[in-house]
Amino acid sequence: MRRRMGRHHRKGCEMNDLMINRRAFGLGAGATILAGGMSPAALAQETPRRGGVLTVQTYSDLRTLNPAMRASYAIHIYTSKMVEPLVDLGVDNQPVPKLATSWSSSADGKTITFKLREGVKWHDGKPFTSADVQFCAMEMWKKYQNYGTLLHRFLSAVDTPDPHTAVFRYDQPMPMELLLRAACELCYVVPKHVFEGTDLLKNPANLAPVGTGPFKFVSYAPGQNLIMERNPDYWVAGQPYLDRLIIRVINDAAATTASLESGDVQASFFSAIPRTDIVRLAKDNRFRVGTKGNEAYTILNTIGFNTRKKELADVRVRRALAHAVDLNFYCEEFLMGYGKPAKGPIPSTSSFFVPGSAQEYPYDPKKAEALLDEAGFKKGPDGTRMSLRLMPNQSDDIRAFATYIQQSLQKIGVKVNIELLDAAGYIAKVNRDWDFELCTDTNLYRGDPGVGSTIWFQSGVPAGTPWSNQFGWTSPKLDKLVEDALVETDSPKRKAMYGEFVKLATDEIPVLMALEQVFISVASAKLRNDHNSPRWPGTSWADVWIAS
Amino acid sequence: MRTVRFFLTSPAGIIGLVLLVLVLAMAASAGTLYPNDPLSLAGRPLQAPFVNPRFVLGTDSSGRDVAAQMFHGARTSLLIGISATLVAIVVGVLVGSISGYYGGWVDVTLMRITEAFQTVPNFILLLVLVVIFGARMDLLAFMIGLVSWTAVARLTRAEFLTLRQREFVQACRVLGMGDLRIIFREILPNALPPVIVYASIVMAFSILLESALAFLGLSDPNVASWGKLIADGRRVLRTAWYVATMPGLAVLIAVLSVSLIGQGINDALNPRLRRD
Repeated sequence: MRRRMGRHHRKGCEMNDLMINRRAFGLGAGATILAGGMSPAALAQETPRRGGVLTVQTYSDLRTLNPAMRASYAIHIYTSKMVEPLVDLGVDNQPVPKLATSWSSSADGKTITFKLREGVKWHDGKPFTSADVQFCAMEMWKKYQNYGTLLHRFLSAVDTPDPHTAVFRYDQPMPMELLLRAACELCYVVPKHVFEGTDLLKNPANLAPVGTGPFKFVSYAPGQNLIMERNPDYWVAGQPYLDRLIIRVINDAAATTASLESGDVQASFFSAIPRTDIVRLAKDNRFRVGTKGNEAYTILNTIGFNTRKKELADVRVRRALAHAVDLNFYCEEFLMGYGKPAKGPIPSTSSFFVPGSAQEYPYDPKKAEALLDEAGFKKGPDGTRMSLRLMPNQSDDIRAFATYIQQSLQKIGVKVNIELLDAAGYIAKVNRDWDFELCTDTNLYRGDPGVGSTIWFQSGVPAGTPWSNQFGWTSPKLDKLVEDALVETDSPKRKAMYGEFVKLATDEIPVLMALEQVFISVASAKLRNDHNSPRWPGTSWADVWIAS
Repeated sequence: MRTVRFFLTSPAGIIGLVLLVLVLAMAASAGTLYPNDPLSLAGRPLQAPFVNPRFVLGTDSSGRDVAAQMFHGARTSLLIGISATLVAIVVGVLVGSISGYYGGWVDVTLMRITEAFQTVPNFILLLVLVVIFGARMDLLAFMIGLVSWTAVARLTRAEFLTLRQREFVQACRVLGMGDLRIIFREILPNALPPVIVYASIVMAFSILLESALAFLGLSDPNVASWGKLIADGRRVLRTAWYVATMPGLAVLIAVLSVSLIGQGINDALNPRLRRD
């Protein structure tokens, strides 16, 4: 039994890895903080203390540690301490110089120039130059990286007029804001001299990263831990403060809470512990608990409708089902206040959020029943109007929400049978075979709607593409809008286009973006300079120190 | 009658019977006491037991009544236990009796098949079956039975091996009885007592298997079950101990009752313990 469970868990984490790949890339989001309470400003007055070991928990182990070829929020927990991006995301979602110190765009938006930082050395002692950026952009980001292939699909060349200038040339206009937001997740630079001329997918440096970051690679034991040590030659004098950094894999929620309480780990991210424990630890002054430092990691819980099925082809039925789920009650009682009903596919934490653009479906069971009657789905003698299958993706939180959907729809006479599938089974049945009526999953908002949001509504995505439009719904108007917005360089115009997109997407709801949640971190109250940027778990931690 | 009287003198048997009646009563009264769907949203999640009179045993993390799930879960467990045991006994007795009676290549073939089943741990085999065929309740009983028949087959075969050369069997042959009649009318009734005792173990094990499946989230999600409640409660063990503890006790009682009854039957059928 015990051995069995171990196997089950390992399987579980492969799935996490899989799930995370598509959640990938939490680009910058708006500055709104849903709930806070971490790092009081007064602490900034203290003098940083050198030394110490920081151990943090994560729940997925990875098969690659090369962020230039793979983007996911899980990989950045591991690698962003060793490998750095061109630009990071600062408070207020403003770009912060990292390996690039300044940037500019040509008038037509097709040429973007980055000035690179001087005097930066790789961990093996060789200098960092524009040739490294050119190599990564053309050979890794554009060719292999998930989302990078989409972002850079019009990238034709990267020129290197001198060792500290990289000029990106695009065939179509590239919105500067899109590239800068994407950079913190998608523009990590690894050394050309380590990878050039080798099989990029099999290079040993994929599991033993060489970078420019504040910490150097020591060892990686998949499923157990990643150990890093201080880089004494880091380009910020005096940083980092910590001697060692250990990322530990614990994939059981209850065990994670226990490790936090015993002091084995000093932080846990991405809402990894049960909500009830989050509420309990929030009252414990040994910990700081909250969503601060995670604003760029906003996820949306979805309810998808297969519009190919006769019941759900009728928009009135979809609207009725949306009206039947009391999302406020769920947020208060089940998410314990850490979450709120979403207003369309662009979350309120995003700078692209346009208030009032989304059609809303407030809880109204009477209206839901009236809509179903109108659509011809009257209650049968046993009180049932129709029977639908609901497939939740694999995760405790998603399954809990599925149960709530089942309970809610039962009240208006819609019988829901839940079919539990593993992550691979979910992709096969829902995304590839379209053999479902209802499905529920999450969508990580990727900072810019053009990257991970619009694909849920666009037509023409091949069957089997995970986390795309598997709902069988098409709108030529929306398709054109989405394509145009990707090459629109005028920022306010672009935002207005996405407002229009939200309006179209929420009017006919092929998929209802039901809930909006910002990831919750739990950290030891002794940490300093933690959670001070919108995607803090995935940043370099060069300035983090531990108070005595 | 005499067996029943002996059963009632065994303390294990009596305790087992009382506990089983308790579980049966829970299953029987589930529909009356909790007429609503036990999986429907009843109220605020994670209410403590004995606080809100509407939810005597509190609510789980999905806002479902724990008591309602316990009572309806008793139905699930008993249903699975009884039907899986029937499947296991029927298959096991068939294979064992044919194998033991005929011997030779029939025996060799059937026993190799039995061994093939026995070499795979039955829970692993069950997981494979569930992944392939899905976790519908009716299928589940069948699948649990299918992974539990091997010991029954071996037991029956052993009994048949000792009985098939006895004088009464030879007499039957001389009288010209057919094989089937000899197997099922003459030998089987004499071979059954140990099988009946073993059936109680199969039943206890079936209840545990279903709970274990539900615990791993692989049982039928649309049916209330003790294992499912335990799995749900494990996540909130630190803050709401009762969600996992109550169904845990229920599984303990159900499995214990069936095992004790098995013990009682064993005592009653054991000639060495008879005082007449």
